[in-house]
Amino acid sequence: MRNLISIIAAVLITSVVVGSALRTAPAEPSDRQEVVFWHFWGGRDRPLVQEIVAQFNASQDQYFVRAIAMPGSNLDLKFFLSVAGNDPPDLLNHDDPVVADWAHRGVLTPLDELTTADEIGRLEAWLFPAARQLGSYEGRLYALCNGLDVRALYCNQTLLTEYQLPLPRTIEQLDQIAETIAPAADASGRKQMGYLPDPRRLWAWGIVFGGNFWNPQAGEPAAKITADSPKIVAALEWMAGYSRRYGPSEVAAFRSGEQALAGAAFPLLDRRYAVIMDGQWRVRDIAQAQAAEATSGKAPDEFAVVPLPAPAEGRVNAGWVNGNFFVVPRQARQKQGAWQFMKFWSGFSETAQQAAEACAEGGWIPASQSVVDQRVYQQALDQSPLLRKFVELAASENQQPVPPLPVASVYYQEVVAAAQEVLYRDADPQASLRQAADRTRARLQEVLDAR
Amino acid sequence: MTSPWLIGFALLTLYPFAASLYWSFCRYDLLSEPQWIGLDNYQRLATDLTSGGTFARALVNTIYFAVLSVSLSVVLGIGLAVMLSWQVRGRALYRTLCFLPSVVPVVAAAVLWMWLLDPQQGLVNGALQSVHVPAQGWFQSTSAAGWPPDWPADHAGRIFGSKDGLVLMGLWGIGNLLIIYLAALADVPSQLYEAAVLDGAGRWRQFWHVTLPMLTPVVFFNVVMGLIQSVQAFTQIYLVSDGQGDPAGSTLTLSLHLFLTAFKDLQMGYASAMAWGLFVLVMLVTAWLFRTSRHWVHQQPVA
Repeated sequence: MRNLISIIAAVLITSVVVGSALRTAPAEPSDRQEVVFWHFWGGRDRPLVQEIVAQFNASQDQYFVRAIAMPGSNLDLKFFLSVAGNDPPDLLNHDDPVVADWAHRGVLTPLDELTTADEIGRLEAWLFPAARQLGSYEGRLYALCNGLDVRALYCNQTLLTEYQLPLPRTIEQLDQIAETIAPAADASGRKQMGYLPDPRRLWAWGIVFGGNFWNPQAGEPAAKITADSPKIVAALEWMAGYSRRYGPSEVAAFRSGEQALAGAAFPLLDRRYAVIMDGQWRVRDIAQAQAAEATSGKAPDEFAVVPLPAPAEGRVNAGWVNGNFFVVPRQARQKQGAWQFMKFWSGFSETAQQAAEACAEGGWIPASQSVVDQRVYQQALDQSPLLRKFVELAASENQQPVPPLPVASVYYQEVVAAAQEVLYRDADPQASLRQAADRTRARLQEVLDAR
Repeated sequence: MTSPWLIGFALLTLYPFAASLYWSFCRYDLLSEPQWIGLDNYQRLATDLTSGGTFARALVNTIYFAVLSVSLSVVLGIGLAVMLSWQVRGRALYRTLCFLPSVVPVVAAAVLWMWLLDPQQGLVNGALQSVHVPAQGWFQSTSAAGWPPDWPADHAGRIFGSKDGLVLMGLWGIGNLLIIYLAALADVPSQLYEAAVLDGAGRWRQFWHVTLPMLTPVVFFNVVMGLIQSVQAFTQIYLVSDGQGDPAGSTLTLSLHLFLTAFKDLQMGYASAMAWGLFVLVMLVTAWLFRTSRHWVHQQPVA
């Protein structure tokens, strides 16, 4: 009996090992140069990424792209360790404000080393302004944006209609929505809010209020950081008004429903909010929810997207933008292969239609108007009016990314931390932003002195 | 025979020790060679500490978490161990149930507790509200129930915050300590209890004058180990705080601050100085515990 069990166990283990070995990625053609591509797409986006890679590999016979999905969290850490170990990928996709920092450290290959000045000039003119800014540092392009992430206000139009409220086109209308749906005088433990500012979104509201987070013309590095400028302080004061109205602990407690936990849904769908700021990726969530409700016989809520409403001296169609971009490490072995793939994916290399098809299927915002103008993408926008609003915003000059500074990540975190201090601990907005700006200035000076 | 151990020790312990000590005197960002800057990192650490900067906040958070975790785990551990040593029906089942949480993976436990302690939808607040206790903020609140109290002015009674949630989560997994206490309880000579009974001692006096003194060596061990583990705690804090010490830095502990400084800000030199500062601090506290142990740890007479 014991021998029989041992034999069965041995057979099972052997089967698992052999099966795993047979299930490896398809072998690369031996006559091609391998381009190792790291990305973080999973879930419903991964098949689309694999399709794009397969299309590129089929379109030419010189390079073979091997896409490796890496977990998105701490991707920068894994990348740095690979650079320190002299074995980085040939191409990396990322979405954090790291281009300026990494370029400053000499980790990235400027794109003008991969092609002619003429092509770079055409590429810069081809990109949306925000896409160009995202990939630039000190006047050189270091990253090629392949998709923009734009934020606007999603509104539950059905819920607003029930309260006889219009879509928020002005700051006053937004405040009215908040006060009507969740009056400040009500008891705590609310289950529904009209609108509640998120501390991370000071980056958006600061720009909408007419502020600038940096002064590129400033001579002194310290003077470039302007988070404590009057209009950004005004934006934070406005956000703090909500915290004072409901109470900091009430605001923090209500926010708990938006944690990125498994099972936590988009809070607009269950009417937790009437209005919420989020990115274009939520359009698919809304479409799925509406389809599910229609299937079950319920009349689905109607939703609308509006730009962030600006105060009197603010900016229209403004906001904070980031996006996905490709970078080529300095130590990459197949830089030209990476360059060809980047152009193929983004649609710059006569592949605008393929790029448009991919963006249409993924609900992505292209980095260039020429991809937006492709018929297949326009047809997708006709079927998704919500997405069209985001695409229109992407072309606006008032969509600004985190400033291209070597301390961009630190700057981003300092501003968010300052906003949290104000919203959750009732700190003074002016003082919090000044401290955040001072710490960032010190860090910027330190980084510049080190080189 | 010991050379494989020595090789492993040299590569995995000695080299990282020596390297981090060298880096603590350098400016180092992982991507370029370390540059010697002398004591600048330690001066920056001292300035940050005295000016109430991020390091000071992380130190206060760590001390709060360590003191509460260790003290409550000792009290709860001994209490549960005493109860689980009683001869009652189903004792084996109770022991199993108390030990099970300690085998749950840290990540799964963190996600579970994030839902349990959700201020709006969590079961814990639901239970509290059913007995007319106000809902607590837990991981979404900067409150701290301990000293110094940091209770929100806008919501009376909402005193338990993010750090308290971490302590509660840690107490759920004290099964490992329970086993140690149960083994120590089994080692208490029965003659001592018989002598106490003969002297007229009731159950409480037996516990206070016999059980507790006999457990002090184990308590001492658990206090030292608990202190080290709570200072090193990282995974659950990283998960519940969204990797940033949220909300508003209330869960930013030294281990998380060190990680962010080293691998997000790429200030490996400064992070190494922090690590060595932390090491010295823990050594000093441990030395103090050893020094004071002769006053409260019962030592068995050598035969």
